[in-house]
Amino acid sequence: MHIVDGALSNEVVIAGTVLAVGGVALGLRKLPMEKIPAAGVLSATFFVASLIHVPIGPSSVHLILNGLAGLVLGWAAFPALLVGLLLQAVFFGFGGVTVLGVNTLNIALPAVAVYYICRQGVASGSAVVAAIWGGIGGALSIVLTTAMVGISLALSGEEFVPAAKLVLVTHIPVMAIEGLLTGFAVYLARMVKPDLFAGLEAPAGGYR
Amino acid sequence: MKRAGIFGATLLFLAAAAGQPAFAHKVIASVFASGDTIEGEIGFSNGDMATDTLVEVFDEDGNKLGETTTDGDGFFTFKPTHRIVHVFKANLGAGHVTEVRMELEELPEIDAASVAGGKTQSARLAEDSAATGTAPEETGAAQTPQMSEAVLEENRELIREMIHREVTPLRREIAAYKEKNDLQSILGGIGYIVGLFGLFFYLAARRKLARD
Repeated sequence: MHIVDGALSNEVVIAGTVLAVGGVALGLRKLPMEKIPAAGVLSATFFVASLIHVPIGPSSVHLILNGLAGLVLGWAAFPALLVGLLLQAVFFGFGGVTVLGVNTLNIALPAVAVYYICRQGVASGSAVVAAIWGGIGGALSIVLTTAMVGISLALSGEEFVPAAKLVLVTHIPVMAIEGLLTGFAVYLARMVKPDLFAGLEAPAGGYR
Repeated sequence: MKRAGIFGATLLFLAAAAGQPAFAHKVIASVFASGDTIEGEIGFSNGDMATDTLVEVFDEDGNKLGETTTDGDGFFTFKPTHRIVHVFKANLGAGHVTEVRMELEELPEIDAASVAGGKTQSARLAEDSAATGTAPEETGAAQTPQMSEAVLEENRELIREMIHREVTPLRREIAAYKEKNDLQSILGGIGYIVGLFGLFFYLAARRKLARD
């Protein structure tokens, strides 16, 4: 999921960085003070999630959890995931510093898309329905992310179909697991803290 | 707020407990001198080796020197012909590319003279053995140094092979160790995140206080 330094052409890296900077700026503006702790926690969760390995056959893939971040944070997922990615690059060597923008875009943009697609469902009256929507969001964010990675590689000259297929196939188990995990996380959050998924723009008065 | 904290802490704890600080999909490549060739290994950090992968060799300025492919164990060899920095590049597909440099001082000894010398020496040995075949009674005295030289060469080869066998697992272990993410770096990363968002929070709070 993390594209490494040197895999992409300069144009893709620059375009990705510009778009990611835009996303981060927008995210920071849309991040109300009450959501900052949640952003920090999700950033840390994302940071650690990449160390959770799902063995499939001879290989293994790791969790991403960008769907959950998107559902809770909306546009603020951009800065949260950027911080997580930066630290992963520095501490673990996942991805790289020059491709940070592209990686942020590839992971945070699906999170934002999931936020818009699923927020109605997650805010639904029944916790079970919300959990199902959360699961859909969790799985969908992985699908979108693999597509984004495939597009990034394709724009850099690699054959799109085999590249995307490879990324997609290896991430099918992650989709299933993330779907379940996000679903349960949404369910848990709905039980213990129903206002977590309240709109970002709305002043979250009863937050404390 | 307290509940949010508990929820977050639970998530984090679950993540940390389930996550073995181990390997991710990262490409590792290493090169080392062995005799007069450069040997290298390419694989993923989870232990899969890159099989049948094209490895291209470049000099420092990006001029292509040659190419080689990895075998079933992700192993490749390249025989250098010039004393220059060698850069090995491999593309494992799906965005996994790797590049590894071999600096001048790490290069195997490859001055042309020794290569040529070795060749002539073996040719001489062949001649000698041919001579021994035809005229065994003559060679008695002269043979001994030649023989011992041949034996020495053989021994050297044997020792080299032995060392190689002994060192390979060590090298793997070191590569794996480099990839290890221990608890300290994970906690360090989380610490950075907490600090960073604390700073955000502080700035946001200050702005809000100034506004009110």
